[in-house]
Amino acid sequence: MQLTHLNTHGEANMVDVGDKRETRREAVASGRIVMQPKTLQLLSDGELPKGDVLATARIAGIQAAKRTHELIPLCHSLALSKVSVDFDVDHANSCVHVSALCRLNGRTGVEMEALTAVSVACLTLYDMCKAVDKDMCIEAVQLDSKRGGVRGDYQRGVPEPIVTGGGVTGEVSLGERCASPCVRVKFLAELRERVEESDLSIELDQLPSRDVAGLKAALSARDARFNVLSEQRTMCAINQVMANDNARLTDEDEVAFFPPVTGG
Amino acid sequence: MTDITETELDIAVKVQEEPFKMDDGYESTLRKRTDIGAIVTFTGFVRDFNETPDVIGLTLEHYPGMTERTLTQIGEQACQRWALQAVRIIHRIGDLTPGDPIVRVLVASAHRRDAFQACDFIMDFLKTQAPFWKKEHSRQGAYWVKERHTDQQAAERW
Repeated sequence: MQLTHLNTHGEANMVDVGDKRETRREAVASGRIVMQPKTLQLLSDGELPKGDVLATARIAGIQAAKRTHELIPLCHSLALSKVSVDFDVDHANSCVHVSALCRLNGRTGVEMEALTAVSVACLTLYDMCKAVDKDMCIEAVQLDSKRGGVRGDYQRGVPEPIVTGGGVTGEVSLGERCASPCVRVKFLAELRERVEESDLSIELDQLPSRDVAGLKAALSARDARFNVLSEQRTMCAINQVMANDNARLTDEDEVAFFPPVTGG
Repeated sequence: MTDITETELDIAVKVQEEPFKMDDGYESTLRKRTDIGAIVTFTGFVRDFNETPDVIGLTLEHYPGMTERTLTQIGEQACQRWALQAVRIIHRIGDLTPGDPIVRVLVASAHRRDAFQACDFIMDFLKTQAPFWKKEHSRQGAYWVKERHTDQQAAERW
């Protein structure tokens, strides 16, 4: 997997997103701050010396999301369409769970904004409560989910959606991971029956060219039954977006081949 | 929740094995709104004749993830072309028998013509772009349904 913030010389650089398509992007991040039970009680009773802790932390989180580009060096400045910060006071585990949702229609993802919102909301909670509790600990700041963009959706703990394995009820199968850079290939519907294969992985080094045409050539060289991939009727999607023979392939891409669609 | 306000497109898509009800989507569309002037719905059913005269059932396969994304994009395109207030798309997968409802599109707008046209557009694009595949079962055996040229022509009208 290529780090997009590094150029070919390994130097940090801002990614040019001018040619990316605008899509609706959304990211949810979460974290928690653990504190003494009596601190949490003071917080929920509104008796801390600095006043309304959660309302302040919420505004801090929203403001921080809007200013992420000033904090994280290679982040673009984004016109967010929505930021929300929520708290869940958890007396059983003596902590406050913080979650943030950021959204926009744009060319770049909003996960850094959501993570920044959570981080700064947690820091503000710390600041508001530190007079009575210095042992507080900010934990588990993480991205929970992300939607939109060419790299596809992400949901923590859920395997990436791939294709119907048996082809009957929409079961999801997970392709194996390779040690070296590779692409995962899926065959759907009638095509799966014709090539007698539902999914496989192939190393990028085995492709004569790192594009869809190269993948077809490598598979055909492996077995003649894959010649069907070069038929005009066969369609292709990379990471669930339609693609043609010239489309570039990179490590961990999911490539699906399938016949013309017949739903509705 | 504290919100920075935004105008949201009211689009919902669902891919499911279970049957849907004939009024599915109405409630979530109307809620307490009084600005909706028209709702147009299309429901598609499994026929007992298609490529063979005696279809006894069909199996619908799809590409999880891409299906939902494609349906949402079709809804978004419809919202860009017409003044729509809501779009609902439900498509079933798995094993179906003749007479079963298979797809449902609901479009709400202030004026009827937008809803009629958008519903037609969504079905044309769904049939030619959304990654679903039908395998029909007949007394002679099972076969994958072929794409139709007429569906392609219908989608090219827009």
